[in-house]
This record gives sequence, structure tokens and C-alpha cells, in this order.
Amino acid sequence: MPRLPAFPSIAVVLCLCSFLQGMSLIADEPPIVDFENDLQPILTRFGCNSGPCHGKARGQGGFQLSLLGFDAQQDFDAIAKEGRGRRVFPGAPENSLMLAKPAGKIPHGGGRRIDVAGPEFQTMLTWMRQGMPRKAPNAPVLKSIVVNPASAVLAPKQTQAIVVTAKYSDGTERDVTRLTAFQSNEAPIAAVDETGVVTAGEITGDAAIMARFMGQIAVCDVMIPRIETIPADDYAVLPRNNFIDELVWQKLQRLNITPSGVCDDHTFLRRVTTDVCGRIPTQDEVNAFLADTAPDKRAKLVDRLLLEPEFADHWANKWADLLRPNPYHVGIKATFNYDHWIRQSFHERKPWDQFVKELLTARGGTFRDGSVVMFRDRRQPEELTTLVSQLFVGVRLDCAKCHHHPFEVWGQDDFYSFAAYFSKVGRKGTGISAPISGSEEFVFTGTRGAVTHPVTGATMEPRPLFGEAPPVVEGQDQRESLAAWITSPNNHLFAQTMANRVWADLMARGLVEPVDDLRATNPPTNGPLLKALGEHFRDSGFSLTELVRVIANSHVYQLSSLPNDTNVSDTRNHSRHYRHRLRAEVLLDAVTVVTGVPAEFDAMPPDSSAKQLWTHRSDSLFLDTFGRPDPNQDPPCERMSDSTVVQSLHLMNSEKLFRDIGSDSGSAKSLADSSKTGEEISVELYTRVFGRKPTPDETKLVVDLLSAEGAVRRQVIEDLMWAMVNSAEFVFQD
Amino acid sequence: MLNRRRCDGISRRNALELGLGGFLGTSFVGGLKARAESQHGGLVPAGKAKSCILIWMDGGPTHFETFDPKPDAPMEYRGEFSSIDTTVPGVGYSEHMVKLAASLNDYAMIRSIRHDQGNHGAGNHYMMTGSPPRIPVGCGAFVSFHPSMGSVVAKELGRDNGLPSYFSMPQMSRSGGPNFLGARYAPFVVGDDPNGANFKVRDVALPRDLTDIRFGSRTDLRAKVDRMVRLNDEAAGDPVLAFDEYFQQGHTLVTSPEAQKAFDISQESPETRDRYGRDGFGQRCLLARRLVDAGVPFITVYDGGWDHHSDIFGALRKRLPSWDNSVATLIQDLKERGMLDSTLVIALGEFGRTPKISTLAGSTTAGRDHWANAMSVLMAGGGTPGGTVIGATDRKGFSAVDRVLSPENFVSTVYHKLGIDPNKILYSPQGRPAHLVSDPTPIAELV
Repeated sequence: MPRLPAFPSIAVVLCLCSFLQGMSLIADEPPIVDFENDLQPILTRFGCNSGPCHGKARGQGGFQLSLLGFDAQQDFDAIAKEGRGRRVFPGAPENSLMLAKPAGKIPHGGGRRIDVAGPEFQTMLTWMRQGMPRKAPNAPVLKSIVVNPASAVLAPKQTQAIVVTAKYSDGTERDVTRLTAFQSNEAPIAAVDETGVVTAGEITGDAAIMARFMGQIAVCDVMIPRIETIPADDYAVLPRNNFIDELVWQKLQRLNITPSGVCDDHTFLRRVTTDVCGRIPTQDEVNAFLADTAPDKRAKLVDRLLLEPEFADHWANKWADLLRPNPYHVGIKATFNYDHWIRQSFHERKPWDQFVKELLTARGGTFRDGSVVMFRDRRQPEELTTLVSQLFVGVRLDCAKCHHHPFEVWGQDDFYSFAAYFSKVGRKGTGISAPISGSEEFVFTGTRGAVTHPVTGATMEPRPLFGEAPPVVEGQDQRESLAAWITSPNNHLFAQTMANRVWADLMARGLVEPVDDLRATNPPTNGPLLKALGEHFRDSGFSLTELVRVIANSHVYQLSSLPNDTNVSDTRNHSRHYRHRLRAEVLLDAVTVVTGVPAEFDAMPPDSSAKQLWTHRSDSLFLDTFGRPDPNQDPPCERMSDSTVVQSLHLMNSEKLFRDIGSDSGSAKSLADSSKTGEEISVELYTRVFGRKPTPDETKLVVDLLSAEGAVRRQVIEDLMWAMVNSAEFVFQD
Repeated sequence: MLNRRRCDGISRRNALELGLGGFLGTSFVGGLKARAESQHGGLVPAGKAKSCILIWMDGGPTHFETFDPKPDAPMEYRGEFSSIDTTVPGVGYSEHMVKLAASLNDYAMIRSIRHDQGNHGAGNHYMMTGSPPRIPVGCGAFVSFHPSMGSVVAKELGRDNGLPSYFSMPQMSRSGGPNFLGARYAPFVVGDDPNGANFKVRDVALPRDLTDIRFGSRTDLRAKVDRMVRLNDEAAGDPVLAFDEYFQQGHTLVTSPEAQKAFDISQESPETRDRYGRDGFGQRCLLARRLVDAGVPFITVYDGGWDHHSDIFGALRKRLPSWDNSVATLIQDLKERGMLDSTLVIALGEFGRTPKISTLAGSTTAGRDHWANAMSVLMAGGGTPGGTVIGATDRKGFSAVDRVLSPENFVSTVYHKLGIDPNKILYSPQGRPAHLVSDPTPIAELV
């Protein structure tokens, strides 16, 4: 579009060149407008084809465009052929709905979008005057876009204009900044306006500015360091327990922030025990760990926790969230077996690639082989595609099922080629007959079935999302090929997705968030670290325990949550530990330990812990209140980890908790009945509930309460226990 | 894990909503989520209703035996009940809807909503959210793809007065959850029976044997033992600040006489309680009215067991008189108290029932099966013109034929009356935009 004003002159020349190649240029005659290169970008830029407007599935006001312009033919037909010719009048183009509506000349639900005096209006007008050509002669094809600069370091409030250049198949380039959509992934850190001007905020950090033009995407990385620099020596002297520390310190140095100090022993003990085993430390553990003077006691503790059975239950509970189906859908026995297989895999410390391979290629009966139940639960290749790609490769393909992914390279071809791997899964036996789904079903390597492209109707051949997969051999299960591709040591996304999840579990925030959405337009906060973690995980033979170990042993993991002068606003780069509320099962098990009254669950043996539950259908007001996944939700894996007033009310007033604290068989009663002194009671309570020794002040508080006039010993202990359970120190991991 | 994503997204959002988030970085997703816009550019409907009581007749109530009898149809269609006159000439109800027939001038009846989801899971979702399920859903399914009316209203009209903004009694309805709006907007479930002698709302009152004085000393004690350092710099994004806020809110709720009054149904006179009906449903209707008094914007009175595949006439002979009385009393009581204009009352289930009476294999009694082509919906208050009867089904009650309306029209009407723009655009945590209601056209006769 050489008519656009304010173009850098070089781009104008390049643009003109592209047209000169394609046609003989007659003086004063505008060049032929190309629908794909010139017109569609306008529709995208002004939001005409966006999801809430004409891009939605049924269009808007009878006018439907492909979402974000990924289907040129559909859009051309919609504009030039459909609508009984009212959308474009070649005879009187100014009166076309296509111009009159967005220009606000006649009522338009989307309001006035385009300026009559602007170049876009002129381009559309010219196109109609030229008879709405579908293609300009020899129109080149868009190949890529680049942003300049590709990265920038800005001071607070500083601005930086981004220029976007499109590259075409004939070697030409155009400045398309004006027609590019911009978006910041961290607007408070660096905002971007619609013209591509980035404005730094006042918080230290970094942001990715995404530029999107006609399906092509480029990212500009923007960093806003603190203004005050820190001497390099300050970083040189920081501890480096392993590669994680070095890579985090490097990032912090670029941001001019320094890490917080190391956390206390008792904080570390509670942190690592809840993270690794999903339980709070026992009084014996607290006493022993605090008394231990060995310099490597933290690493030894990590090693010991990794061997515990509770490690397996805790991590199985996390994966069951993601995999476990609704028993009302697949049946109770199938759900039970599936949970058992998941749980057993973690007890065996099964390498992650083996776990995924077994899951993806599972064959057998739902009453014998728990691993097949995913194929009972998810019956369509499409459902399996979105689940498997998201969980194990960190690629969210949901969008590409119905339309081209708006922020990524994935289209429907990719989606249905991937789905084709699941096209021949054989099933025999009793299908789903909710709500009972009573009998057994068998999953086997089938020979029939195909996945077809919903638009073209073509039968899709299995193809991985990128790279090469082993070819499918005749007679072999197609899923074997897929599993080999997913778990390949060369598939960096497989290792990184798991590494990122586990990092998020221990560090309260993923290097990429959401944790299962790895893509160029959602960059990690620390790319080198994600890469290194993925490689370490892969090189360890995909060992979960090693991944947990290396993270827990890093100095970064052991930082205090208390900020220093430089890092209070850092909520991304792990310069301090980020607090989080204990997850529902961990908190309930902790309450059980504190009160000394076992929880009782349906369909579980006595003394079972909450993280051993094999279905979220087992009634527990506590677990529901604290956000375990609602099996009624779709997807069922969403877990709520925030605080709510309902949770506060439950801890405050739950009849059950009240009874348990006051129970005749509970720990408060036995403590009251003991001959312990006030000081001993304070130590006992603080180690039991908070996992630490009381300070002298705290001991004095307890002693004073117990010795106050009229004090009832048991009542004081119960009240203290209630108060402590309702405290942030109990509910949160620090 | 996915949960961490929620953790981040939501705990930061809480902070934002508590006014702590001025400098907090929101992620791309958080930014989108916090953004909700109206396509009308601020043309929000001026709703009269401040609260809504949804009477959810789970299972799919028959339209024949309630509000749309077909006395002229053959016996195998019209069933065992006869038709009675209402206050609107030419409009008849089934014989047991005595009080509602006599008070039709106080509310509106819609007899022409239809949809295409003939099983419980899907029908519940469609009527409860205004959005059809995205994938085929089975009968036994409890699904959620879109926020329910209750969660949306809680988000839009909720007041931070310590009271939950969305109640559901005695259980959550299927598809009655918040979906991507987050746990804050899930219903607060009051499971206990308000008709019981010792009724109290779970967790909202002190445990039975805990005295006020002891509770006071416990909370004093908590202030002393809870010494975790709070990161008060808002940029630090400390989730403990939200926790403190919620503790305070909960404490206010427990100690505030007004809030406690709302739950204390024993403050109603015995006459009033009798009037509503001395059963769980009647007392829940009364409790719902008390919650409206206290400013709660959305209350679902879940009323299960309308899935009459068998023994439809026997069961309804027993059930309908008291049901009719409770609902008619609720509307009447709201009217007498001058609250009907500001309170929307709606009663419906997920669909109607088959015109032809059938006896299922293995059953000895007759029933009607699922039927989404026709259903009846009651709507009162919030400026709803009384005595309005909208649409009609055909002679045998097969299908809505006159003024055919969709679940979208119905849900849009509810939002419109509550002053919420049904054309609002919501963003899922993945940044996917979704209209609150895909067809935001309310039912013109009712607004």
C-alpha cells in the first residue's frame, strides 16, 4: 500500500517495486489492490474479523468472516459474492455496506472503525473501483514479519516505537506497522498502543510485545531494569548450589535486583516437606532437623523425603487432577483402576517418558489395566488431541480445532493430522452409559477409522506437530509412533513442559504461565533456565525425583519470602520465594495431624489421607471448600488455589473442626491431660502446628494464658489450637 | 500443574479486586480477564431488579400438569388432571395450581421457550447459563462450559458486605457454577433443612457449643499468634493480604447481627412460616426472601425430583398443592412488602415433558419423558408486567408454535432485568472472548 503516509521512504520504494514487478504502472492509475495482501490486513487490523464481531462462528448480522482472516477465499466470497451484492457496489463504491458501515455513515453495531480520510478507506475504495479483484497479478505471498528492534532495554516511562516489516515471496518488504496488531503479555511492565509504541511502566521486569500481521507473529522483548545498578561483585559472591542458581542470578543481574536472604531452617523444613511430600513436618522431624548441625542437612532432608511413600501419593494426586475422569462417566471400577495405575507409577518412580508411553499406547481392559481408561474417557480423536498435546507437549491446540490458532502457527491441518494418530484406537465391550457405566471395555490396536478435515473433508495422515516422527509401520499401532515422537529426547517441549510444571509446583509460579501453554508468544521469564531444566530432566532419564531434587537443592528454592530493597516488586524472576496457600488435600491432612482426629472418607480404608483419595466424588466439605477440582466442571482438572471468604468461614466455624479440636480423643485433650508445664505446652503446640519452636514472647503468651485466673487448661489449649489453625502461618506455605 | 495457574491468576485478581493491585503486574491472561467490555459502548440496561430468586425444578417439570394443560387433547395427551381458569381470560392452568392461577395478575407466564437439548446434563446447562453445551453431554453429566446466571450476577452485583453473593439451597444445581469466573463466584451452599428444628447455616454461625465470649477470645488470640510478616507493599503481591481480608469479612458476617438475622428463620412468625408451607421447599423460599432482605443478589432454591418418567399423576397430586402454595406465597409476600419490584422470581427446569403419556419398560405407572420442544417458565417481579402470558404451544402441547423463544432470550431477559448487559464480552483465562449471551435479545414483553 504505497499510499499510506508516514512510511519510511525505503519501504515506500520497496512497496512500489513489488507492484512494478507485477504490472505495468500507468501514471496516476493506482496499482491493483490485492485482496490478501492489501485488503485482508485491514479487516484484521480494525477488528472486523475478530471473535466478538464478524469472525465469530455465526458471523454478525449475517456477515461472516474467517476468524482473524486465516481463510482468504471465504472472506472474499463473503464480501464480494454473498449478501446479495449489497456489501460491495462496484458502480457506487462509496455506498457499499463494506465502506458505509465501518465508516459510520450508516448504523453499524461495531461502531465507526475506519476514518474516511484515512488510507485504509482509500484502499478499499480503490479495490472496489478496480472491480474487486481476488488477486493482483503476480501478487507475492507473505512469508514472515520481523520487528525492529527485536529487544529493548527501557527506563521507566521511556517509550520505544516498534517497526514491523513484512517479507514477501518475491523478496520484497513492506512496512506494515500501521496494520499490525500489538499486544503486551505484561502490560503493567510495558504497555503497547495500537501504533506499536511501547511505553515502559514503573515496575522492574520484562515483557514480550507480540506483533501479529496476517497470521505471522514476531515478538519484541522489552526489559525495564531498576535504575540503580548493583556492583557485579554482589552477584559473584552469591551461592551457586547448581546450575539453577547461576541462571537465576544472571537474570537478576540484568534487572539490577538482588535476591532475598536464605530462609530459616524451620521455614525450609515446612516448605520442602509440603512441596515434596504434601504433608507438614512431624514434631520429631522439627526437633531433629533444628538440632542437626550438619552443613548438608538440607540436601539430606530432600533425599530422605524423595524416598517416602507420601511423595508418590502427593504427586499422583497432582496428576490425577489432570487425568482422572468422572466416575459417573467412565464407571467406578475403571476410575479406581486408573487412579491405581497412576499412583503405582509414582510409587515405582517410573521415568516420565515411560509413564507417558504406557499411557498413550495403553491396551487392555478397563477392569484390569488402569492405563487404558483415558481412551474410555476420551473417545474422540479430537478430545485426545487437545488433552495429550496440552499435558505432554505444552501446546494448546483447542483453538485449532475450529479455526487457526489466533496467536500461534497451529491450524486445522495440524490439529487433525495430530488427531489422526488416534483414529484407529479400537474399543470393544460396554461403552459409556452414564451414570453407571457398569461393565468392562477393552482398548486395542484397531485397523479401521479415519480422521477427516472438517472443512476440506480430506482424510488426514498422522503427522506430528513439528519435527519427524517414526513412520507408522503396517500393522503397528499408530499411537506407538506418536508416543515415540512425544517422548523423544529431541522433543524439547516434552521435557520442558514437565520441567515447567514441577518448577511451578515448587516455586509457586511457572517459568511459563499458564504452565501448559508453551509458545513463542508466551515466552518464559527465564528462557535459558527452562532450557537447562528441560535438558537436566532429559539427561536424568526423565526422572521426576531428580527434577524435584535439583530444584529443592538450589539456593533459589531456599530463599526467604521477605523482600529486600531491590526485589519487592519482583513476582516473576524468583528473587524471593513466593507464598501460596496449601492445596486442599495438604491442608486437610495438616488439620488432621494437628487435631489428632483422623479424617474419614467414603470408599477408603481407615486412616487414609486426603491425597490418597481415588476420586473427587468422595464427599468432603473441607476439600470442596478449599478448591479441589469440581468433577462436574469441564475440563475437570481446574483446581482453585485462591483464598475465599467461604474458606475463612469454614476454618472459623466448621462444626467438624470445632468438634475435632475439642474431641476427647484429640491431641488438645491429651495435651491438657499431660503433666506438661506451660512452657512445654507452648513448644508442643508450636512445633505441631507451625513446625517451629515458639519465640520467648510466644512461650510467655501461652504460659500467661494457662496461668491466668480462672483459666481452664483444656479450653486454653483448644482456643490456641483454633487460633493457630486460622492463622496465615498455618494456611500458607512461606 | 494447572492449579498453579489458577493460583496465580486468581490470587492476583483477588488482590486487584480488593484494591491492592495498582502496581501489580497482570499477566497477558490476567489482563484480558480483568477486561470485560460492552459492545454497546456503555448502554447498560437499567434493570429494576436488585436480586433474583431462581426456583430450579430439576429433572424437567411437566408443562401439562402445571401451566400449560391441554384439556382438548385426547386422553393419552391431556392426562388425568383437568384445567382451571386463571385470572387471565382464556388461559387455563392444571387443576392443582390453584393459588398461582388466582394470582396470575402478579406475574408473567412464558409458554413458548424451546431448545434442542433433551437430556438433563445438557438441558440444565442451557437453561442455567444461556449457552448450549459445547460438546454432546450425557444425562447423568454435570457440566460447566460457561458461567451460570448466579455466578455472573454475583460478580456483577455482589457487594462486599461479607455476605456471599450467590446462595444455592439445599445443593448446587448442575451447571450452576462459576466456570472461568473463578471460585469467588461459586454458590454458597446451604445444605441444612430450614424446616428442621435446629436449622442454621453452615459455617456462618458459630459452632453450636461455642459461646460468643469464647469466640471473641479466640479471635483476639488469633491476632496474637498470627505473626507471619505481611508484605504490605502492594507490588509484592502477597496472597496473605487477601486471606486477611476474607477472615475479616467472615468475622463481620459471624458477628454482625444483621447478617445473622438474615439466616435466622426462627425470627419469622409462626403464621408466616405456616403460610410458606412447613416443608423444606417452603421454608427455603422463605429463607430466600430473608436473604433478599439482607441484600443477597442471587439465590437458587433447588427443587429436585421433577423427572416424572413414572407415577407422574400420583406424585404430582401430592406435590403440586404445596409447591403451588409456596411459590404463590413467595410472590405475594414480596408484593406485600413492596419488594417485588426489586426482586425477580423465576421458576423453571431444564425442559418440559413429552406430550404422549408413556409407561416405561419395567414400570407399572405412567409418566412423561424428556421434551425440550416446549416448556413453561414463570417470571415475577423486577418490573415484569403481571398477567402477561407469552406464546403458546400447539393443541397437543408438542411444540412451542407462537412467539417461539430461546433459552438465550430467557437468560438475556434475566440479565436485563438485573441491569447486566447480556451482550457483554467476557474473557476466559485463556483469553478467549465469549459473549455473556450469544443472542442478547431479551423478551420484549417482559422488559
